[in-house]
Amino acid sequence: MKKNMPYSTPEGYFEGLQNRLSEIPARKSRINLTPYLALAASFMLAMLAGNYILMKTTASQPASDDEIVEYLIDSGMTLAQLEDEIYNY
Amino acid sequence: MQEQERFFNDLVRQYSEQLYWHVRGIVGSHEDADDLMQEIFIKAWNALPRFRGDSDPFTWLWRIATNESISFLRKARVRAALSFTRIDAEAERISDPSPYFDGDKALRALRKAIAALPDKQRLVFTMRYYEELSYEQISEITGTSIGALKTSYHIAYEKIKDFLTTTD
Repeated sequence: MKKNMPYSTPEGYFEGLQNRLSEIPARKSRINLTPYLALAASFMLAMLAGNYILMKTTASQPASDDEIVEYLIDSGMTLAQLEDEIYNY
Repeated sequence: MQEQERFFNDLVRQYSEQLYWHVRGIVGSHEDADDLMQEIFIKAWNALPRFRGDSDPFTWLWRIATNESISFLRKARVRAALSFTRIDAEAERISDPSPYFDGDKALRALRKAIAALPDKQRLVFTMRYYEELSYEQISEITGTSIGALKTSYHIAYEKIKDFLTTTD
């Protein structure tokens, strides 16, 4: 499989990787909330959403790097256009 | 649920190593590939209830992995552009993932040439050259016609040849 690929991995990497990946179902099902917890979570979510909307409408927060990256990708701007904008600024 | 977990663990056992090399071939660095493997298998686990038994798990997993890797590269490039890092410097970073690079100067130059290719060409070249997948398999994974894949591979091959000739 690793034909011509000039890469290696740390010693015993694949055993560790398989173990970590096999833990995903258990980790995900631990997050499986009981109905009461789900109710509490929904309440918290509503509170957070309200708080978020309040923050958005009362103070302007600078966008994070991730938000800017997502926005640029969604806008359909090509990398060449982006570079032009940056280097001709 | 137990059935699903068993199936998932079979996927991990059967494909994780091969899939790692697929992702590594696209993104270059071990750390990035390692992070992506977690993301890919979490996505696979979440999508498992919608996985149809008659589909090929290989194609299904490779499709998730390819989409995740390409999305990762796009974000990395936009981040690099925003932080005033030239794209060729980003390609340099991707092609020079020490300490887990064990190739000579020529192989390093080849990786650099591959890293400088546009996403689609890089993907097709990696899947054909390193993974030796057939055009039919690549077509199923990427949803691109075989004719378009052959064209992309040919263009990638020519670009790499030019790159290696001019950097000699």
